[in-house]
Amino acid sequence: MTAAALSAPVHTSSGPRTAWRLFWYGGRMSYGMLFNWARPSIYIPTLIGGPTFQLFFFASLGSYASGRSPAYFAIGNAVQVSALAGVFGMTMAIANERWFGTLPALLATPANRGALFAGRFLPFIANGLFVSVYAMAVGVIFLGVRLDLATIGVVALALLTTVFSCTAIGSLQGAISLRLRDGLFGANLIMMSILLFCGVNVPVADLPGWLQVISNLLPFTHGLEAVRQAADGAGLGQVGGLIATEALIGLAYAAAGFGLFSFFERSARANATLDVR
Amino acid sequence: MSTLPRSLRLVWFVTWFNVRMLLASEFFILTTFITPLIFATLGFLLFHAGGETAGQTLLYVALGSGMMGVWSTTLFGCGGAIAWQRWEGTLELLVTAPSRYDHILAGQTFGAVVLGFYGIVATLAWGALLFGMPIAATFPLVLPISIAAAVLALGSLGMLIATSFVLYRHANALGNLLEYPIWLVAGLLVPVTTLPLWVQAIGWLLAPKWGMDAIRGAAIGSSPPWLSIGMCLVLAVVYYVAARVMLRVVLDKARRDATLALR
Repeated sequence: MTAAALSAPVHTSSGPRTAWRLFWYGGRMSYGMLFNWARPSIYIPTLIGGPTFQLFFFASLGSYASGRSPAYFAIGNAVQVSALAGVFGMTMAIANERWFGTLPALLATPANRGALFAGRFLPFIANGLFVSVYAMAVGVIFLGVRLDLATIGVVALALLTTVFSCTAIGSLQGAISLRLRDGLFGANLIMMSILLFCGVNVPVADLPGWLQVISNLLPFTHGLEAVRQAADGAGLGQVGGLIATEALIGLAYAAAGFGLFSFFERSARANATLDVR
Repeated sequence: MSTLPRSLRLVWFVTWFNVRMLLASEFFILTTFITPLIFATLGFLLFHAGGETAGQTLLYVALGSGMMGVWSTTLFGCGGAIAWQRWEGTLELLVTAPSRYDHILAGQTFGAVVLGFYGIVATLAWGALLFGMPIAATFPLVLPISIAAAVLALGSLGMLIATSFVLYRHANALGNLLEYPIWLVAGLLVPVTTLPLWVQAIGWLLAPKWGMDAIRGAAIGSSPPWLSIGMCLVLAVVYYVAARVMLRVVLDKARRDATLALR
């Protein structure tokens, strides 16, 4: 690859049809090729078995220690486990381009960066939804979770928004990982932060004030609260604000992820560090 | 041919070598030092919400959270031990070296367990600094014996994990699966008496349960935990024998099929 080719501006928009193909097929391919867990021998233990036991663990611990119903912890963790797919998946979908050696080829193409970046979201949102719905079913069957059928659509909307925003923070972590030795370290930290700060097991109101500030800046906090209230029968009028806030937080993280990805691309071209690990 | 002092020296050397290796890994720093602090904080807040703020409760949570980190480090550090040697290309050299391979593997697994125990120190310090937890032991002279017994039992279990997980291509996925259930069944934060009897019976076979009982018994128990210490030692022998048998089977199979270095 020549220096001229590397330094040439490559961002082009070749029409909506090309962008759509890049978004749709590129996203699907990135899931199949870059998501290390997309095979049954890893997927089942990690994204089915792990979340199942996580639900039972926190339902037991939470109800024993705090006296709250196991269903409270089951709902919180059923939503939180979508982060396994969203955060880790998006981190791998972006950072693995570098580790698998495909990043220079990708960035040498004139592909629309927006479509390329956005296409990676869809498979992981679908995956996160699947894991969460599965975990919710475990909660309903074994841990006493009850969903108000009249507002199940609102629960679904809140869940979808929450999974999107968690995938968005995963995209930011993916972009950061382009510069790190071990991107999954940050992904693990995000997972832990969500467990602690976002009202998954401890209500946000019970946290010290300075921790609540962090809670409100993270994805999950508002979306999870919307899921909890909608599961208890609250309608869109009551939780619409929470869902909108969650969506805005997600969009902000997605924009930050895309911005950082673009910045690192420019910086790597300028400093010839595209392939440096 | 190796004499006992030579063997012990080998295990000791590999143990510290592996501790230093794992300390260079961000993943193990997270598993050993950061994750237990998050779980300890969650535990403190949950028990606080339930009105349990006594010093003994905080100590119970801190020790349990620390042991959760010990189990995670054991699981991931030992589960991938042989697989990593394969990836790094050192497995053939170690297996064919004059030193016994089971001693090398023992050192490697004890290294992971010893590193994990730093996590307990971290959660105790965290509890004392942030939550005003008192640091005291009911039986301070028994505590080192309890810790040593727990290290022995977990190290031997680590060897068994290392020799078993190598049969599964994705050892880390098994690690992801087995973290939470063992935390639960071993009663690290929730007493096992709250679980169904058949679940409690699984816990009786596990080193983390007896190791935790031994350490908690010495720290906050009403009588010295000799039974738990004894169970740790018995399980250490059972695990070690099982791991030796398993290792022989695995290595024989790998030699016969010429797959020792294959990934």
